[in-house]
Amino acid sequence: MKRKKKFKQKRKTSSYSKLSLFQKPGMKFFKACPLSGKNAPVIDYKNVKMLKKYISETGRILPSRVTSVSQKKQKELSRAIKRARVLALL
Amino acid sequence: MNCYEHTLITRQDSPEDENKKLVKKYEKIIKDNSGEIIKTEEWGLRNLTRRINNNKKGYYFHIKFEGVGKTIEELEKIENIDEKLIRFLTVKVKKHDLTSFFGEKKEGLKK
Repeated sequence: MKRKKKFKQKRKTSSYSKLSLFQKPGMKFFKACPLSGKNAPVIDYKNVKMLKKYISETGRILPSRVTSVSQKKQKELSRAIKRARVLALL
Repeated sequence: MNCYEHTLITRQDSPEDENKKLVKKYEKIIKDNSGEIIKTEEWGLRNLTRRINNNKKGYYFHIKFEGVGKTIEELEKIENIDEKLIRFLTVKVKKHDLTSFFGEKKEGLKK
């Protein structure tokens, strides 16, 4: 069982590193959204630690094409960041 | 009844007793205007990320309450005039989340 698990992990990492024109069909192109799915962190204006990952050094909101956050979650995220800015938390 | 979260920031130079009086005053306003307080959190003195009206630090208070539209109308009407406050924010939420993101470290140190 242990061997099987290791094998799966290896394949996941390799599919990202070998992105090329000649890759096999059915390979993953995009990362999954880090904010949706099970065990995802709550998007909230009080959760400053989490929000800090999604802003640049100068405090601007990072685009979803960089962070691969889904559209729905990006909307929630930007709203939360703007709320945190009002309270001078970010 | 709707669920609301309200955060206040008071000036750093005002003493702690006065801050607590101020929060109690606003809690009373909520109660008088058909509101119901569920929880009040004290986040304490925090650094502001940028200056607001020449203030570098602020004392944060967080109130979770249930109320109607008129409760907030009255609350913000009085807060707008108050000079002791730096900022305030009201957010409507679907359900109250009682986990606190702030002040957890302090509790750990005390133990």
